[in-house]
Amino acid sequence: MAFGRRSPGSSRHPPALTIVTALLFAFLSSAAAAASSSTDAMHNNNWAVLVCTSRFWFNYRHMANTLSLYRTVKRLGIPDERIILMLADDMACNPRNSYPAQVFNNENHQLNLYGDNVEVDYRGYEVTVENFLRVLTGRHESAVPRSKRLLSDEGSHILLYMTGHGGDEFLKFQDSEELQSHDLADAVKQMKEKHRFKELLIMVDTCQAATLFSQLQSPGVLAIGSSMKGENSYSHHLDSDIGVSVVDRFTYYTLAFFEKLNMYSNASLNSLFTSYNPSMLMSTAYYRMDLYERPLNEVPVTNFFGSVMKTLHTDSAYTGFLAAHDYETPLSVGDNLDDHFMLKDRATPRRSNIEKEAQLTPHGWTEVLLEQLEGKNTDTVVMYGLGAMGILLALSTWLSM
Amino acid sequence: MAAHSRGHPAMREREFSPAGTSPYWWIRPCAGPILFLSLLFLFLFLFTAAAASAAAPEEEKFTEELLLRPLPDRKALAHFHFRSSAPPAASVGRHHHLFPKAISQLVKKYHISELELSFTQGRWNYEQWGGFDPMSTNNAKPPGVELWAVFDLPLSEIDATWKNLTHTLSGLFCASINFLESSTAFSAPRWGFKLNEGNLRYGALPREAVCTENLTPWLKLLPCRDKAGIASLLYRPSIYKGYYHSQKLKLRSSQSLGIILDQTLTVVLQPNTVSGEQLHSNHGQLQPNWSMRHLFNRKLSGKCLVSKSSRVFIEVDKGIVDNVNKSGSDLSWSNEFFVLSNSPDKLIKGQNHVEIQSSFLYVYDASNYTEEKPLDVGITWKLPLVWTCTPSPFHASRFLMGSGNERGSIALSFMSTNLHKQISGSPTDCSIKAVIFQVVPWYVKVYYHSLEIFIDGSRKTVSEVVDKIHVIPSEDKLLPGTLEMLLRFPCSMQSGTLTLDFDKGFLHIDEYPPDANQGFDIPSALVSFPEFSSARSYPEIDPVLGSPLLENFQEDSVVKSYTEVLLVPLTTPDFSMPYNVITFTCTVLALYFGSLLNALRRRIGEEERELKKTVVILKKWQLLASILYRKFVDELF
Repeated sequence: MAFGRRSPGSSRHPPALTIVTALLFAFLSSAAAAASSSTDAMHNNNWAVLVCTSRFWFNYRHMANTLSLYRTVKRLGIPDERIILMLADDMACNPRNSYPAQVFNNENHQLNLYGDNVEVDYRGYEVTVENFLRVLTGRHESAVPRSKRLLSDEGSHILLYMTGHGGDEFLKFQDSEELQSHDLADAVKQMKEKHRFKELLIMVDTCQAATLFSQLQSPGVLAIGSSMKGENSYSHHLDSDIGVSVVDRFTYYTLAFFEKLNMYSNASLNSLFTSYNPSMLMSTAYYRMDLYERPLNEVPVTNFFGSVMKTLHTDSAYTGFLAAHDYETPLSVGDNLDDHFMLKDRATPRRSNIEKEAQLTPHGWTEVLLEQLEGKNTDTVVMYGLGAMGILLALSTWLSM
Repeated sequence: MAAHSRGHPAMREREFSPAGTSPYWWIRPCAGPILFLSLLFLFLFLFTAAAASAAAPEEEKFTEELLLRPLPDRKALAHFHFRSSAPPAASVGRHHHLFPKAISQLVKKYHISELELSFTQGRWNYEQWGGFDPMSTNNAKPPGVELWAVFDLPLSEIDATWKNLTHTLSGLFCASINFLESSTAFSAPRWGFKLNEGNLRYGALPREAVCTENLTPWLKLLPCRDKAGIASLLYRPSIYKGYYHSQKLKLRSSQSLGIILDQTLTVVLQPNTVSGEQLHSNHGQLQPNWSMRHLFNRKLSGKCLVSKSSRVFIEVDKGIVDNVNKSGSDLSWSNEFFVLSNSPDKLIKGQNHVEIQSSFLYVYDASNYTEEKPLDVGITWKLPLVWTCTPSPFHASRFLMGSGNERGSIALSFMSTNLHKQISGSPTDCSIKAVIFQVVPWYVKVYYHSLEIFIDGSRKTVSEVVDKIHVIPSEDKLLPGTLEMLLRFPCSMQSGTLTLDFDKGFLHIDEYPPDANQGFDIPSALVSFPEFSSARSYPEIDPVLGSPLLENFQEDSVVKSYTEVLLVPLTTPDFSMPYNVITFTCTVLALYFGSLLNALRRRIGEEERELKKTVVILKKWQLLASILYRKFVDELF
């Protein structure tokens, strides 16, 4: 532990000379770095944003849809603090509900979705397009509590589920506002820029859901809609005790798929997608996969609907940040033979590490540069920079002659 | 990966934490310093034990209590009371054993000296369920959310702190309390609500839904949550089935006191009536029999282990006590009117403030019951009994007058319950004070000068009745109107009415809620009677009993009642109008620009030439066709 700890100060370079080189280096490789940095992060957390956009009692099924998904993702391991639940109206304690504090998604009333542990983050009048976009993009007032924020990072997989009434390229919120496909695409783009997700799965159960995805263009986004343009999404069945339809077809069959799974099953997204039968849905489920890189039959559904991640097993305690920078230290510390065998085994991972190091260096340079720029000697930095540019220009003109 | 599990630990670390972003740091077992740590813990333990014995009273306490009471209209009242208290912060630092950390952080961050937050569904029925006892004055709350807080801060910082507080509470309790953030939603009453030095803020959201998502975080503040003890009785479907449901959180904090958190839940339930109930000819029906299992679907299996005391009270009202006394029997747990299912551990007599014996409490200690032998206390009626609860001096109600979408008036009516005659005989020249506190949103523009007062049908001048009045008029989109008024009614008054005229304002199109057609709610007004105290006293009670619930009942509090919420229909714009306007204007513009462009760009001369050209070409083609045809015909024949 102790031998590998290099003081962070020792990697600092004396400013004046290195800045020039830093400038050049950063200049040349910043574009490459920016492109590669976004995909670097490992998937290390899961979030879910579940939105029911409809108010009024006859839209009971939309709330039941959302709560069913809420139950599913909780069952598959996403904790409550990583679920943002938005419900536009109160159905469970609605005076019209003959089952107070209960919501059912099936007329057999086997499963109370509104159990003892529901945490609704946004409800009633708070479910607006503005708040929805704020949650996605993370632009909140400073007073907004953490439980109402989507605190995801570049290693997050986010499930965004929306249900409500929609049309060609829009989704209605509360019967008074619309979220347009452009707004959604814009928000997703912002999220990508701000490194708020690694992969995003958008699932929408509404009429003409496919049209909502038409403007998306950020990489790492996967979208599933319940119906194509010009098609309606229908409800599944009516509960005559409650008096309204209790679930939508698309969500019903999604749940039917998930009820068979537990946290440990590795059913792929592809199997979810193929499980939708247009004759049962009475609409054609639509998938947009062109922005997504990984092959769908290799991605388990628990990557989005659960919180299952690869666990790396280690025997020793975690040493913190600095351990990552110890490449220069001699590899064989102990002098037993095992270590020499280890060297062979480690050849490949080490090489990839070196490559990673190479990719990461520009970051180091830019960091140094930024630090210098923020400090007092901004003027000198700029001057040196201009000087370097001049030299570069002169050099290139001389070379071209 | 298998190969990596061997070798020196330091090397593995290098491999597995790329750039220090590994999220698995918590998986790694801490193997090294266990011996050292255990020694440290031993020392710490010894130290804390010594410290604890030195300052025994300075510890966190938790008590849980439940009060059950039959109500005259065949319903049952259940009142849960949980108190957690933390000693003054200096002595414990930042750590808590029982006290919820979220609350202590909240108190410290926002410098709260008092706070009350209530979530209520339904309305307390003051006529049937009583208006003169501690239950109605402390636990009857207006529908929706009500929040008030007293801050220990300079006056200039209070509004900003209030805003942050509403956001924090909304995150804590899954409710839209953050709507109270806007200055149009809260007010700063000086004396009408509670006497203060300008550091109190009050806000109410009458339409806020109350459901299990509000109860769950509330329960999470309890050390045993709803897993053990009295809170385990809270079976959601049965408590939300009730007629009235009020969940309250009250905080008091000071340097000497520490923090005291009172969590109460008051529900009025309809007992599941047991079939085969016989009808009595003389007095009508027998009261429904009930027990805990009937009310909550649960039995009580012991106490929450960390609670200091865990008690269940069954309270019988003054009305029942009088009836039983009249018949000459004693008030044991099994008398000729009713039988309790278990024999109580204790019996407490209560008195109201005029030293009249008022109620009886049968006390059960939950720690005597276990999983195998659960407590299922209930009441079984033997004889039909009719009684009434003591009402407040006046029954207050509020309603709207007038029609149309332009103006209207608010009326507050007081109906005498002739209580003063029962209490103080009937002197003719006495008077009863009443304080009214009312907050009205800005879009209901109340003209305070139009106040009219009618007593028993005859109009009185304002100065005859009003002793003191304090009005903060509303400002459009900025401030709500606040009215605080001290009235003096003659004791002989049977009915009194106050009316205030108002104009209905217009909101900006963005400010209408999605269901604007339903109308707008005006929060409940509060009427209090400062000369009447609802405090109870328990002369036989020994102070060591330490029951926060009874302590609350003994606190001197004025009789209060909340009026109904008013639903004001406002003119709602036709929300499709903008679209109509847009399409209309666009059509007009298209017509205008279309014809203009047509007029400007069209070249008639050229068109004619073109036309001629085409005619010429057409003719040539025709000529060609005719020639060909002729040739064809010639060849054919």
